[in-house]
Amino acid sequence: MSSLSRNAVSLALLGVLLLAACEREERSYRGEPVGEVKPGAIVQGTLYAGAPSPPPPQRREYEGNAYHVSEGKRLFEWFNCSGCHAHGGGDIGPPLMDEVWIYGGELENIAATIVEGRPNGMPSFRNKIPDQQLWQIAAYVRSMQREVRKDVAPGRDDHMAVTPGEQNQPVTPPKPGGVASPSSEGRGP
Amino acid sequence: MPARAIAAPAASPPDDGNWVMAAKNYASTRYSELDEIDTNTVRDLQVSFTFSTGVVRGHEAAPLVVNGTMYVVTPYPNKLYALDLTKPGAPTKWTFEPRPAASAQGVACCDYVNRGPAFADGRIFINTLDAQTIAVDAETGRELWRTKLGDINKGETMTMAPLVVKGKVLVGNAGGEFGVRGWITALDAETGKIVWRAYNTGPDTDVLIGDDYKPFYDKEKGKDLGVSTWPPNAWEIGGGTVWGWISYDPELDLIYHGTGNPGPWNPEQRPGDNKWTGGIFARNPDTGQARWFYQAVPHDLYDYDGINELILLDMPWQGQPRKVLIRPERNGYLYVIDRSSGEVLAADPYFPANSTKGVDLKTGLIEYNEEKHPRVGKVVRDICPTAPGAKDWNPSAFSPKTGIVYIPHNNLCMDWESVEANYIAGTPYVGANVKMYAGPGGNRGTFTAWDPGQRRKVWELKEDLPLWSGALATAGDLVFYGTMDGWFKAVNAGSGELLWRFKTGSGIIGQPISYRGPDGRQYIAILSGVGGWAGAIVAGDLDPHDASAAKGFVNAVSDLPQRTTKGGMLYVFALPQRR
Amino acid sequence: MRWPPAPWGRKGRVLPILVLAACSGPQSMLDPAGGQAARIGVMGWILLAGCAFVYAVVLLWLLWALARRHRWVEPGGVLPPQAGVERRLTNGLVAWVVGTVLILFAFVAASYAVDKSLTHLANREEVVVEVEGKQWWWTVRYPDDDPSRSITTANEIHLPVGVPVRVKLKAADVIHSLWIPNLHGKMDLIPGRDNELFLTADREGIFRGQCAEFCGLQHAHMALDVIVHSRAAFDAWKEAQLAPAPAPADEALARGQALFLTSACTMCHGIRGTPASASVAPDLTHLASRRSIAAGALPYNRGNLAGWIADPQRIKPGNHMPLVGVPPSDLQALVAYLDSLK
Repeated sequence: MSSLSRNAVSLALLGVLLLAACEREERSYRGEPVGEVKPGAIVQGTLYAGAPSPPPPQRREYEGNAYHVSEGKRLFEWFNCSGCHAHGGGDIGPPLMDEVWIYGGELENIAATIVEGRPNGMPSFRNKIPDQQLWQIAAYVRSMQREVRKDVAPGRDDHMAVTPGEQNQPVTPPKPGGVASPSSEGRGP
Repeated sequence: MPARAIAAPAASPPDDGNWVMAAKNYASTRYSELDEIDTNTVRDLQVSFTFSTGVVRGHEAAPLVVNGTMYVVTPYPNKLYALDLTKPGAPTKWTFEPRPAASAQGVACCDYVNRGPAFADGRIFINTLDAQTIAVDAETGRELWRTKLGDINKGETMTMAPLVVKGKVLVGNAGGEFGVRGWITALDAETGKIVWRAYNTGPDTDVLIGDDYKPFYDKEKGKDLGVSTWPPNAWEIGGGTVWGWISYDPELDLIYHGTGNPGPWNPEQRPGDNKWTGGIFARNPDTGQARWFYQAVPHDLYDYDGINELILLDMPWQGQPRKVLIRPERNGYLYVIDRSSGEVLAADPYFPANSTKGVDLKTGLIEYNEEKHPRVGKVVRDICPTAPGAKDWNPSAFSPKTGIVYIPHNNLCMDWESVEANYIAGTPYVGANVKMYAGPGGNRGTFTAWDPGQRRKVWELKEDLPLWSGALATAGDLVFYGTMDGWFKAVNAGSGELLWRFKTGSGIIGQPISYRGPDGRQYIAILSGVGGWAGAIVAGDLDPHDASAAKGFVNAVSDLPQRTTKGGMLYVFALPQRR
Repeated sequence: MRWPPAPWGRKGRVLPILVLAACSGPQSMLDPAGGQAARIGVMGWILLAGCAFVYAVVLLWLLWALARRHRWVEPGGVLPPQAGVERRLTNGLVAWVVGTVLILFAFVAASYAVDKSLTHLANREEVVVEVEGKQWWWTVRYPDDDPSRSITTANEIHLPVGVPVRVKLKAADVIHSLWIPNLHGKMDLIPGRDNELFLTADREGIFRGQCAEFCGLQHAHMALDVIVHSRAAFDAWKEAQLAPAPAPADEALARGQALFLTSACTMCHGIRGTPASASVAPDLTHLASRRSIAAGALPYNRGNLAGWIADPQRIKPGNHMPLVGVPPSDLQALVAYLDSLK
């Protein structure tokens, strides 16, 4: 390979890297008004009839964007997610920083859980959290178990340090299905 | 005049060998007059039978025993079992499943616990997590009535053990961490109809403060203090729940109950004294009308929830016989209060508290330590005691034989950062980041024997883990309690010497009881099953990498998953049968 | 060319008036409306006069030097040494250095005197206002010894005229700075630290305050209105603010309220007198009594309110109010209800 073409390749690579960095920080304040995938319409299992559907575009858009993840972190406090799940270690609700996901640990599963609520105590936030904020929270929840890029995960807390920080978490790939809720034997009316 | 403290006689009738309410009697002594098991024979104590409840969350309940039947209520889903003690192995007589709403689990602050049933006139009364009170026929297990008292969509749950007084079932709500408005309600034991309801915040007409109200201290006097000691409308979501213990003095005809913490925990969001939270009410059981009130923690700063047990004693005080109540408070002081007037006779520290500097007995006011005052945007380190207090709900016992109160409690300190709490109905309303750890000495629990007459500690036992179980005193000069790693212990009531211990399957956070079986022998029973606020790390599989999990308790017990596992088992002990 | 030049000619005589007119107004330190701002204003004038004097002297000297060279030196030549001139120059320079030091000392003395007089003014309080800076708006509280008479509002400070006021300053997230130029100088709002200002407004009027420390994306749109009125009018305002929101008067308003209570609004905003008690966004109990919305970004009126709810990110990109997506028919009902919160 000539040195000229090597340089051209290096330049192109650099350009791609720079562009990628832009995406990491790109701030979109309103979400896409058209074509937003509603979390409620998403399947939860990993078995498909025929070929599996492609993952929703929100995965790339939200999980790869530091702005969205940091907004998610703010909203996680504002909307009292932290009241039940603490800073990921859990309290009334299950921990979010471990690998166990009763209702699925992918971005769209988490978004669906927030919208729909779950029978053993997770409240439904339907009509209470706008779509974009929903995806932001779900992306932040994914960052708690470091299922987003390290440079996208929040680096520090504005508050008392109670966890190693999302950026320093070991990567814990989600185990969808997880264990059943420990008290799921309770039958509601 | 008795030479030392005795249980209020009218509230503690002679022991008939049954155990019909969680606190044993209206005086809440948790003292059994049975003495077959004593300091000499206890070493032979062995398991008589066990029973699995089928639920593996925190078992905080006291079993009841009524004429040969034992009643056990589980954590959510609040199943009620009747065990036939007349038959070998105590087979199940009947099971009652109340089927509370599963969603209620999402608004139970500190595990889905239940602190026990109550028995009166052939009926068993239980509270369910989704805020219902249910009466069941004690003989057949048939449901007699159920009354829905609270709304889980506002965060209201019920976990306390009811108390039946003069044909009324007294119950209260939980949810001080959800911005509920606390209340105590009396239900007709026959029909389940609400007789009266007293709120612990808001205008006097709601609090049932009327002409009978005669508090001892000036600070408790004034019109509509439940409104004027709050920012506008904040009392509507101000807490003051009744999830703990109620005592009753038939002679004075007054019930006594504590009121829980104000909401949110962040004190900056609720300037003012926040009446009527964090205190003790004396009320008329027929009408609910308040007689007196004493606020132990005006404008509570640290979730010093005032719901602990109230032990009714008659004792000489400076040469005079006084009718008192004893309250080992969360703030670390043991209060001796004249239960007819509400005057604080003593408030002595049984725990090295640094969050407060003492209680002025003239004004009844507690002095907060300015250095430890929580602030938004600041982390205040090393506050002792913690949010669960020097002692939480887990009740003490009193033995009239020794005149000593036996207090199982914590030895923890905490870091606290207030943050703005955002009220969203049905979600937590707390506003604090908390991280707890072992207190002075490094032990996380202490079992203290306290002489209220001498106003001093007689002996204490250091326990590695926080103590979250109740205590039981018996006429055999024994005191029983359990530890969170599953040891059930019997110690000498006079000296604290460990005489016997047994390792149960899971950590113990329940309330031990003692009864005389149909065969005439003395039995000791305890539920084993770790959980509650302290054991949430095991019961809820919480992650210790987050020091703030379970409102900071996980950090203090991060080793608990290595020490015990989930469980739900009744253990009943007796001496070997004589041949 | 004639001096003064053209702008100072017949037409140009209006310019000085225009310049002076720019000094008055709702956001000007040259138009003080209180003792503190007046003293700071005096200090400003002293600094301006001192600096103008120094500037003039330096310029004159420079001009003299240029003219001197022009007069005595042939093009391309060298200035011949002139003993007398050199000595005078040296002496002049020494005198100027001494003069500079004296001027700086005078500034220090003046600044000290002004600071001292400001602290003298800060010796009493009759009204306490607590201002908390947040990204990007202000919580304004009026604490009271009787907590049930405390008030919480947003982006609007009301003050009684002639009454000393203590303004407590807090920040919830990052460092902000409060600057109401007509009433006082800047003071920072720092998370975890309490600052305070004492001010007394001498005349009634409406002034504008602004965040004066860069605090993020919408720093420029973080303003507040300061309304100074008579004691009686202030007390009446306080009474009105203490009342909870009125119950909806008719069915249309009731529908608007129901929409508010069942939608995303309740996640952040509170309206006293309804179950909505959230507090991470401005309290809306008396929204319609305020002069502006979105921290001074828009004057308050129904049209602007509707536009703001419909797309807050167009008006103030990056602010914490999301695009909720309220359908048009609901929007009208919602705005009608909010507009009833006087």
